[in-house]
Amino acid sequence: MPSRNLSVRLAPAALAFLILLLIPGGSGNALAAESVSVEIGSVYASNEGTSMDPVLGNIRGKLQSMFNYSSYKLLDRKRRSLAVGETGAFELPGSRTMRVTPVSAQGNKVRLSVQMTEGAKNLLTTTLGLNRGGMALVGGPSHQAGVLILIISAE
Amino acid sequence: MECRAARRMIEEKVDGILPQEAQGELSAHLAACAACAAEERAASAVGPLLRAWTGARAAENAPRLDAMWTRVRGGIGERREAARRRAWVPRWAWLPAAMALAVLALLFYPTGTERQPFNPRSFDVAVEDVESDVATVALVDKGEDLPRVIWIIEDAKS
Repeated sequence: MPSRNLSVRLAPAALAFLILLLIPGGSGNALAAESVSVEIGSVYASNEGTSMDPVLGNIRGKLQSMFNYSSYKLLDRKRRSLAVGETGAFELPGSRTMRVTPVSAQGNKVRLSVQMTEGAKNLLTTTLGLNRGGMALVGGPSHQAGVLILIISAE
Repeated sequence: MECRAARRMIEEKVDGILPQEAQGELSAHLAACAACAAEERAASAVGPLLRAWTGARAAENAPRLDAMWTRVRGGIGERREAARRRAWVPRWAWLPAAMALAVLALLFYPTGTERQPFNPRSFDVAVEDVESDVATVALVDKGEDLPRVIWIIEDAKS
């Protein structure tokens, strides 16, 4: 029966298609060395309540040691893969924007040119050097009844 | 032989169950008894009459029987076709369903970063330069085991 033959012929192709779809990001590794995966997490720190967002993982204790806030909540988290020289704009809470541009670095190091703006105002311009898998913190911009603490990580 | 026994044997003969050895005895009685012989002739004629009547009724009803058989055959064919179609649908239904599932998985596949805990491998940060047009920026360093923090003090709001 022709339909049965067609079904039998298409079944392996369909399965292969499904498997390819469900394997996340397998082919991106070759490009990983050429690019930097930059992630910006926006944490709202305040004295409203006493909660600690579990997603903050192993930096929870460090945040509590460094700051005098009782509540930490992750508001937003964005990740973008950027090539050296490519600028990625990350929208932050409170109509702020963080523009990050990886610049050339040696070995396992990552250098990020960071500019944070609020409208036309330049809140911060800096260049950070960190290890791949490392993290930097930028805090202070006011948000609601507390402040924003931005977690900048690069992989 | 008495006529009563002969009549019973005639019925058995018509029914085809009269033993062979009794047939001679019955024939002898029929040759001698006109009433039983008439009875035997009448009984023997019933079978062919019935067959003729049944054949005539069958011939009368043949067109209707043919039509009925045609309908039955058609019904059987339709049921077979429906069963074949039903069997065909499930065999193919999985393919579009699987494709749709794959597309949905592709669209909504969790990237794993949204609720994956932050677990940085290093807090070692070098800050090469810091500038701000509207705020005071401090570099906060509270010890080796704590990350260095760039703290923005918004002049207008602080």
